[in-house]
Amino acid sequence: MAIKTKKILVPLDGSKNSIRGLDMAIHLARQSQGTVTALSVKTVPGIYAIHPLGFLDFNSMTEVKKLLADAKLRAAKKGIQLIGKAIAGDPGYDIARFANNSKNGIDLVVIGARGRGSTKEIFLGSVSNYVLHKSKKPVLVVK
Amino acid sequence: MTVNNFKKILVPLDGSRYSEKALKRACDFVDAFNSEIILIYVVEKSIPINLLDRKEYLGMLRKFGTKILDKSKTTLSKKGISAKIFLKEGNIANEIEKVAKKEKCDLIIVGNKGLGSVTRLLLGSVSNKISQSSSCSVLIVK
Repeated sequence: MAIKTKKILVPLDGSKNSIRGLDMAIHLARQSQGTVTALSVKTVPGIYAIHPLGFLDFNSMTEVKKLLADAKLRAAKKGIQLIGKAIAGDPGYDIARFANNSKNGIDLVVIGARGRGSTKEIFLGSVSNYVLHKSKKPVLVVK
Repeated sequence: MTVNNFKKILVPLDGSRYSEKALKRACDFVDAFNSEIILIYVVEKSIPINLLDRKEYLGMLRKFGTKILDKSKTTLSKKGISAKIFLKEGNIANEIEKVAKKEKCDLIIVGNKGLGSVTRLLLGSVSNKISQSSSCSVLIVK
């Protein structure tokens, strides 16, 4: 019998911790023959939503795409299907919303304990903490 | 792949249905990864109770703890899983961390809420503390 986690959500931000989270998710997915959904959120300050020039910053969206391509390669090496999703917005909020959306059918969220937040605490990162509190699905915090 | 094999799983219990859920999830992990399970119940000692009732109250908690541990152990053994059990006393989060370190656990599975007096909408205080400060990975079952 395998774990019933068929769809695993992995938020990626390019940090070492998120890669570790991805490895863990792949490991779990192999056990349950599930798929991994990688979600990469480009941070967009709220003000840009109404500012027309905010959308001129295409550069970092390519960075996000590259990140997802890397993740896909990593998963493919292990024989796991990975679906990449790139969205722009507030990371914590959007990850939690994506996880809670029943259309996506996420069974488990695997998240690195720290991202690339500037303060190098030993404690949990702000986004991880937010997702932990707000998500209605099980959350695995990888340390 | 580096340290992704869950050899030892720690499941803190408190008798709430969330902890039962966590235990169920732990069973799934055992099936998939052949891991060891460690159950722990912590008798909360830091709560202020008046001096006269203290001994009796703690005794009740201890009894409750052993009852829960035994119950969980039998449910596990029905599934063919053997488990180590611990009964500790002190601050809940601290003790759980200590055991996790001592037994070199790879994963802690906790329910998102416990028996705290306020049924919070969000994460319980103990789960929160564990997820913030533990040195190993934490799975929060919702």
